[in-house]
Amino acid sequence: MSLLRRVLVVLLIVALSAPIALVAQDEEEPQMGLWEACADPANLPEVVTIGAIFGQSGNISVYGIPQSQAVALAVEQINEANYLGEGVTLEVIYEDSAGANEQAIAAMTKLVEEDGVVAVLGPTLSSEAFSADPIAQENGVPVMGVSNTAGGITDMGEFVFRNSLPEASVIPGTIAQATEALGLEQVAVLYGNDDDFTISGYDVFVSALEENEVEILGEATFARGDVDFNAQLTQLVSLEPDALVVSALAAEATQIIVQARQLGYEGPIIGGNGFNSPAVLTNAGEASDGVIVGAAWNIASPEALSSLFSEAYEEAYGALPDQFATQAYTGAWLMATAIRCADSAESADVRDALAGITDFASPLGMFSFDEDRNPVHDPVVQIAQGGAFAVLGAEMAEE
Amino acid sequence: MDALIQALVDILRPLGITEPVLQFMLVNAILGVSIYLTLYTGMFSLANAGFMAIGAYAGVAATQFIELPLWLGLIVGMAVAGLISLPIGLPVLRLKDIYLAIATIGFGEVVIILLLNFDEIISSVATALQGERVRIRLLEGARGIKGIPKSTETWMLFAFLALLMFLLWRLHKSRLGRAMAAIREDERAAANMGINVVYVKNVVFVMSAVVAASAGVFSAHLTRIISPGAYGFDKAVDILSFAVLGGTSTWVGPIVGGLAMGALPEVLRFLNELRGVFIGLILLGVILFLPGGLVNPAGVRLLFRRARRALRRRADAAERSSHAAP
Repeated sequence: MSLLRRVLVVLLIVALSAPIALVAQDEEEPQMGLWEACADPANLPEVVTIGAIFGQSGNISVYGIPQSQAVALAVEQINEANYLGEGVTLEVIYEDSAGANEQAIAAMTKLVEEDGVVAVLGPTLSSEAFSADPIAQENGVPVMGVSNTAGGITDMGEFVFRNSLPEASVIPGTIAQATEALGLEQVAVLYGNDDDFTISGYDVFVSALEENEVEILGEATFARGDVDFNAQLTQLVSLEPDALVVSALAAEATQIIVQARQLGYEGPIIGGNGFNSPAVLTNAGEASDGVIVGAAWNIASPEALSSLFSEAYEEAYGALPDQFATQAYTGAWLMATAIRCADSAESADVRDALAGITDFASPLGMFSFDEDRNPVHDPVVQIAQGGAFAVLGAEMAEE
Repeated sequence: MDALIQALVDILRPLGITEPVLQFMLVNAILGVSIYLTLYTGMFSLANAGFMAIGAYAGVAATQFIELPLWLGLIVGMAVAGLISLPIGLPVLRLKDIYLAIATIGFGEVVIILLLNFDEIISSVATALQGERVRIRLLEGARGIKGIPKSTETWMLFAFLALLMFLLWRLHKSRLGRAMAAIREDERAAANMGINVVYVKNVVFVMSAVVAASAGVFSAHLTRIISPGAYGFDKAVDILSFAVLGGTSTWVGPIVGGLAMGALPEVLRFLNELRGVFIGLILLGVILFLPGGLVNPAGVRLLFRRARRALRRRADAAERSSHAAP
């Protein structure tokens, strides 16, 4: 009985014994939005304009395009359902930031000072957010990151929100569950050190491992765009760790999984958000069995709203949504909900309403903002089996 | 001064140029000066982005860690870059043309990798000394240094650029400026005329590095966050494109090129994701039809002459055809 199979058996037992909370199905289809909690708004102007800053060109368009498509889908649904009341349309001004801090600043300045938008969604990258969000803060316009996962985003001020779970809320749960299920004692860590996303993930992995009293045998780094990880993997695998902990983006993650298996490593591979891509599984094939990922959302999510959204998105754009699309879609609905509940197109009122949103049913699950304007919802810990992700059981990481 | 800047921004606003855009345009103009100095001397150096990174990090270290005012941070950034450029320049500047370009690209990569791994290097040294695992977080690697106050003002950029322009104007009339031009035209002849080529080249390299570093300090205090990735090969090519667009026949060229390249993405904002394509087309058009760049009196004259000749030929042809048909 190989270690891998033993791992799978243990995880299956864990998965089956975990109480699976089934969403109570209503007679009618579940619907996005707080229709009951907030009355139909009556004091809104005919057109309410929000801004969206996403990297629609350049090398981050792989994230930015699904984001803007998902926001467009949400806005279409919001306007069709008259979510903001009869005769009120929500309009979005999309700005491209191309992944450059300078352009994010220029786009934010244009939206906030020239176009006078009520609120802003975005920008795509955390580094862009650190550059551009202070402009919204200074002008008293709420801004909501829908893909910023770095630490310290919402410390920029009370007008800065995000609905994307920071790595700090996903990874500790992943590590805690994996430690419990696999009895981890010693691990090796491999991470990309030239990208703020992968290195933030690494930071959280290290502190989570320390918290769970797991020893780190060794660490190795790689750079974005690397394709050969044999040197690092040989060194790490030779330490005979119980698990390989990897902080990487999708492209590198695939190669790391394949090459680790080629080197004869059969143990579990624990990944961060970057592994949460169907492409990783399809490209890594059988090698991906035993890969454990914690993420904010996955296509396999049991939420009813999630499958509704996936269907609508596929119908509109001919492709399945990824995590970025889902978070952007939820972000647009949250912003519309804040406008509805505030019954005002004044930025300050919208901010207050946004900060007060709790128990919002969404594709990400039950969603709330905490007092620091960070998201609170259950992340999903999954394991890859036979080329598909299976949910291990969602438990909120205890702070 | 503030009123003047406000008036200028109001004029440019319909084009989509707000004050932050203007600030980055001016930073680009300073970078244009930096690459102009080396190109004018006939050195194809792409080290500007690396020196910009050094300036940014040294300047931010001065203003954030030691809490010095911005003008002192500016001096620190420039001084550090100047000191680093000397030992780099001495061996590297023996190379010419494309080999110099490759070596300076390499320098830029080395700077980025050192900045990315700075904390790990320090940590491993400390770990070796202490005997137990130490994690030091100083430059924050790829996370970038966050929360830098936006202390660069538009008037500072204008004043600094004006100072640079004045110095360039003086330089061209000076002995050093003439020596630079001579080296560009023919290095061997210049050496035979008694010009100390190695000395002049290194002085120019240091000047270029110092100017690039000043742009780094200014832009770091505009973007509020600096991370090594922002100063990579892409940035080096961007800076080169200022010189290509503006032309290097006069010192106004790269400044205009920098201003234009800063403004273009915002002026073309209405094109959304096609902006990059259009900017590429504009650059291509300039390379094909205005080989000397936008600011090149001779080139513009040549273009006019060609156009006039073409018109005249067409008029002649029309006349002939009207004679031919009685």
